[in-house]
Amino acid sequence: MKYHVVQIEQNIMRKNDALAAGLRARFAAGGTLVVNVLSSPGSGKTTLLEETLARLAPRLRVGALVGDQATDNDARRLARSGAPVRQITTAAECRLDADMIGKALQGWDPGPLDVLFIENVGNLICPAEYDLGEDLRTVVFSVTEGEDKPLKYPLAFNTAQVAVVTKIDIADAVGFDRAAAYRSMREVNPRIEIVELSAKIGTGMDGWIGLIEERLRRKVPQPVGAFTV
Amino acid sequence: MHELSVALSLLEGIEETASRDGIARVLAVHVRIGAMSGIAPDALRFSWELATAGTVAAQSALRIEDVPLAVRCERCGEDREPRPARGLVCPVCGAVCPTIVRGRELQLVAMEVPE
Repeated sequence: MKYHVVQIEQNIMRKNDALAAGLRARFAAGGTLVVNVLSSPGSGKTTLLEETLARLAPRLRVGALVGDQATDNDARRLARSGAPVRQITTAAECRLDADMIGKALQGWDPGPLDVLFIENVGNLICPAEYDLGEDLRTVVFSVTEGEDKPLKYPLAFNTAQVAVVTKIDIADAVGFDRAAAYRSMREVNPRIEIVELSAKIGTGMDGWIGLIEERLRRKVPQPVGAFTV
Repeated sequence: MHELSVALSLLEGIEETASRDGIARVLAVHVRIGAMSGIAPDALRFSWELATAGTVAAQSALRIEDVPLAVRCERCGEDREPRPARGLVCPVCGAVCPTIVRGRELQLVAMEVPE
């Protein structure tokens, strides 16, 4: 069949990127620091956030959105901190996107927030593609994962500003090769900031909490006003 | 693994253009997919067939242009293609090159329509 070609040239991510820009402006207006947390399943995201919310809640207004394909188990775990938490159940989708965040914010009333954590779906491929309007992208990597994981999933580590290395209390027992792991991370992102901790026994948590507070201070020159949904 | 939602976004772009230009049938769609886009071409083809059933693009071919990963090597002053699974490292001089210049594409490029 004879045909002619109609040029279009459209970026498929443009809709997500536009929504994310809208979210970023909204969070900025409220002075809310937004932290997008990415990792493989089982790296300890939820344990890290449980402990993070518990430590920050007495001092700051913190909340969390939690993405999972099914169940609200993680949201229930995080809600024990007393912080407002909302589960986003993504069903077939393997990641959160800006539209899901926008919808989750509708009809949710956490009050003004200083810090909003977004626990992404456990997956290192797809979530890396989607801007959620965050200020800080954190990739969580546990010492039980392969040291070459950053080379296998370069985009997640390349687009993150911070890598949180979890389960550091069992690093020796599992033979974690710190030098190799950090070399892999720096081969995809030489500027990545690496924080080692054990959310379970508390080692290194002060450094991580300090990092969040420092980022919040940088975001809000004068601590007035906050994000209200 | 979000190929179906990518297919639906592609279709949305096609339908917008088709309705704007009064096009009733699309024979083929050209897309550009980067190696780092997280999209598997075969899964996208499969999703495309499902997504387009009963639409203006039903049974259209999906023509995929693969874009290899390329990074900017500041030391060489060139764009380079890193070796797979070796980090964002210049294959010529060995420098780490965190600036991705190609390979994240997910683009709807064009469509073929009957004369």
